[in-house]
Amino acid sequence: MQKRNFTSYFLIFLVMSLIIFGASKIGLLRPLDSLGKAIASPFQALTYGTFAKITEFGSNSKLQELKAQNLALTQKLVDQSKLIADNKALRDQFQTQNPKSTNLIEADVIGAPAFIPGISVPESLILNRGENDGVRIGQAVVYQDNLIGKIVGISSFSANVMLITNSASSFTVKTMATQSQGVIKGQGGGEMILDNVVLSDNLQTQDLVLTKGDVDTSNLGFPPDLVVGEISAISKNPSDLFQKADVKSLIDFSKRTKVFVVVNY
Amino acid sequence: MKFLAFVFLIIALILEASLTTIPFVLLVLLCLLVIVRENWLFIFAFAFGLVLDLVTFKALGASSAFFVILLFLVLLYQSKFEIATNTFIFFVSFLGSFGYLSLLGYNNNIISQALVSSFIGLILFKLLQRLKIHIYG
Repeated sequence: MQKRNFTSYFLIFLVMSLIIFGASKIGLLRPLDSLGKAIASPFQALTYGTFAKITEFGSNSKLQELKAQNLALTQKLVDQSKLIADNKALRDQFQTQNPKSTNLIEADVIGAPAFIPGISVPESLILNRGENDGVRIGQAVVYQDNLIGKIVGISSFSANVMLITNSASSFTVKTMATQSQGVIKGQGGGEMILDNVVLSDNLQTQDLVLTKGDVDTSNLGFPPDLVVGEISAISKNPSDLFQKADVKSLIDFSKRTKVFVVVNY
Repeated sequence: MKFLAFVFLIIALILEASLTTIPFVLLVLLCLLVIVRENWLFIFAFAFGLVLDLVTFKALGASSAFFVILLFLVLLYQSKFEIATNTFIFFVSFLGSFGYLSLLGYNNNIISQALVSSFIGLILFKLLQRLKIHIYG
């Protein structure tokens, strides 16, 4: 291959790429981008679903069943705890609650960037629902009563979910048994830590960590009392300002093929 | 060979779009370039880069520009040294994957992903070499 020959090809395609990159950055290609994603998303869903099934093949079905039961029981436990708190509030006439129904949109997971089976865990998920379905940036994504993440990117037909274990994720939480408050911070690689918990608070291993709730006036944010995970280890040092705890999500994000977006709270 | 390249790139695109961040498209392009050394690979790099950006929520054109630059650098290198070697494929796969994942904002296990990419690159290189021999004799 002549050097001049391939240099001209290089220059032509580099300039074209840079023009498209610039146009995309300033939003000129948004309609084309949305159309392309709409065409590609069924194929992505099919491929992701197929691979998810393959990775489940050979796994212990009894164990999967027990995990599902565990999730259902956890959900009941949280519901019960919330009911007790509601009753107490009514009895004390301290406050009245009128919980609104949580409106959910069902979505298929069609991709998981930064995920290599057996090597890494997903840091984000791509869903087949977008702006046209009522999905907005900032909405919570859940499975049953478990928090999965937050919508951080959107097109007309798809959305990008940042998982709660992503290193960029951080939000306020409380523990279910002791009502200790803190900030949960994603660490990447499927890890989370509960930080900023004052030393005087009592943390317990296996206590559930719930969202404190940060829904704003536009109905965006995390609703309260969603399960974030379970405390697996506590780090308390008297010389520190705060105590920390390792938190493990009850959901295996890599095996989720269907999730729900909270579009209204 | 163009049809074979197209098939390999489609498979790589599907894998990268829905399953993993290992830059399969980059690896296939790299191996194809080392084996066939044809200009039409720039067209494939541009087109598949665009589709990849589209389905992975990146700014359109980012992957295309990276692929085109990488192919150009490899072709510049070939005028001075032999590039169709396992060592070359291993190192360029590692550096290319590392650069690609870093520039496009991935921040988790980049080195291990680049290392896995290097081994996949080697396997792909051997496979494509055998296929070429099988097709052209």
